[in-house]
Amino acid sequence: MARADVKEIVLDRDQPGQPHKGKVFAAIHAHLDDVPFYAGGLCAKLIAEGYTGYLIRTTNDEKCGGHTTAENILSNEQEHFKVGEALGFKEVFHFYYQNHELNNISTLDLRARLIFLFRFLKVDTIVTFNPWGHGEENPDHSVTGRAAEEAAWMSGMDVDYPEHKEAGIMPHPVKERYYFYARPGQAFNRVVDISSHIEKKISGIVECRSQGGGNSGSLLRAKLAAQGKRLAILGNDDRTADREYTRHFLLGDDKEAGAPYGMQYAERFYYIDQRTPELSQVDDYVTRHAIPL
Amino acid sequence: MRHRRHPSPPPAVALPARATAAAYANKRSGYSPFTVPDYYSYADDLKIERPIPGKPHQGKVFAAVQAHSDDIPLYAGGLVAKLIDEGYTGYLIRISNDEAAGKTLGYGVVQNEIDNIEVGKALGCKKSFSFYYRNHRMDDCAEIEIRARLIFLFRVLQVDTLITMDPYNHYEENPDHLVAGRAAEAACWLSGAGKDYPEHYRAGLKPARVREKYYHARSPNGHNLVNRIVDIGPYIDTKVKGNVANKGKGPAGESGSRLRAELAKQGKRLPILGGDDDTANHQYVKHFLMEDWRLLGQRFGLQYAEAFRYIGPEPGYTEQIRKYVDANAVKL
Repeated sequence: MARADVKEIVLDRDQPGQPHKGKVFAAIHAHLDDVPFYAGGLCAKLIAEGYTGYLIRTTNDEKCGGHTTAENILSNEQEHFKVGEALGFKEVFHFYYQNHELNNISTLDLRARLIFLFRFLKVDTIVTFNPWGHGEENPDHSVTGRAAEEAAWMSGMDVDYPEHKEAGIMPHPVKERYYFYARPGQAFNRVVDISSHIEKKISGIVECRSQGGGNSGSLLRAKLAAQGKRLAILGNDDRTADREYTRHFLLGDDKEAGAPYGMQYAERFYYIDQRTPELSQVDDYVTRHAIPL
Repeated sequence: MRHRRHPSPPPAVALPARATAAAYANKRSGYSPFTVPDYYSYADDLKIERPIPGKPHQGKVFAAVQAHSDDIPLYAGGLVAKLIDEGYTGYLIRISNDEAAGKTLGYGVVQNEIDNIEVGKALGCKKSFSFYYRNHRMDDCAEIEIRARLIFLFRVLQVDTLITMDPYNHYEENPDHLVAGRAAEAACWLSGAGKDYPEHYRAGLKPARVREKYYHARSPNGHNLVNRIVDIGPYIDTKVKGNVANKGKGPAGESGSRLRAELAKQGKRLPILGGDDDTANHQYVKHFLMEDWRLLGQRFGLQYAEAFRYIGPEPGYTEQIRKYVDANAVKL
């Protein structure tokens, strides 16, 4: 539900053409399956509307995958590349901090790396965890969101890491933020209609096999086959089974988010716009009131 | 920066039979609090690095990393001047903001910021950088972040050689020195690694191969391993200029002109200070603060010297194995 402290809800529907042409966003998540589930539709929509997108994963996901720690790191790494490709990202980055232990690293180091990338990639918009979101159990989520939030404004300050200029990497402020609605009760002020991008979102989720349940359909299909059964909605091959399982069973939050607004699927965000008008209030006042000497 | 008064030490005695000295006490003039440490241990492959004619280091780059604006000029100013004269491009990197020295914290920070730039210019460095971490509190910083910044600079500047405080300075009181030395040491090899901060490579940076290191000691307390004595005789005046440029802290700066003014009020003058303030500043540093470097040089037959723990490039092990194979392989 919406919260009283975030004013009215803005409904963000598809925009024709490429209104965001030339703009860049970075989606920063802690784990392989965060962006696909919380913001896969938004990312696909922004890219369709002209944005260039970059996907940044902060952990190594070593705790997820059901295999050895080393094998989990490898499988999540490879699947992260596939998620990026499926959702239309231009490039994927991995920082590989230890999974579930982000609250014990130097967040300065993490923040500095994000500042570097925000400047180098000229990031205008970030999509990430709400660092102030309640009900968050996973420290990786909170730390990632907090570091990204801090990096967003510091990347525009020319006195933070001035040595970047030596490499021609100049300060670049991040002006727009979309924070995930990751846990029940977290604040949101924007509902994004992702109905026309749902196939892309599903494509991203089905690549999350080490975690996130992207291969649940094919696993269920095999299990049923061993019992001499089949589920009609899962189709006749594993790929179809994974996609349809995702569509039927894993998108409940998106359906719930869209229903009050007549949208088939939607994602919720706490959106912050820090873009400044071309004319400041003072400039505007001067323009309107300055008189000849 | 403190002067300490010590009671007279007991007289030195001969070592017991069969005992060999493992460290050598340095001669001290008593003119400067920041000179050579108490003791050096000399490696049996000690080398004297003398001035080399021409520009043998043309194309090479060094970074002189210091915690405070007076560290490099005091302890390695001669080496810096020598390497630049021999073709190196030098960069000076200061880690702290030096806030602990000055009339107020704010004035101290501003003066030391200026000093770091002027010291770099006086010694011939191409550019000076400052990281501005809080002075005397660097053990409260994230060392990994300092290291990361150094890795970035080593890569972008393509640093070949590091000059810094010995990270193994025994009896070191100042945490800034140890943190700066450790971060710089670790940054050397990590700046060449492919998997550390790979986003730098995405931005077009190249790995840096920092293959040579000169570690300098820090006085007054210390016991350092030395395997390189650098003849800085021809560069002593440049070293002096580097120290004179350091006005905000340390024993140099404008001490000479202040002493000259003090004596003038008493109707006196010191001939070595000359007839103007600039000469007084230069001569004060040269006569008093460089004296222990002269005494160190004297031990090796040099006019002036600085001492370092030098770490040179490692031979490629695969190359060595290949040489062995080439020399020893026989027909099947």
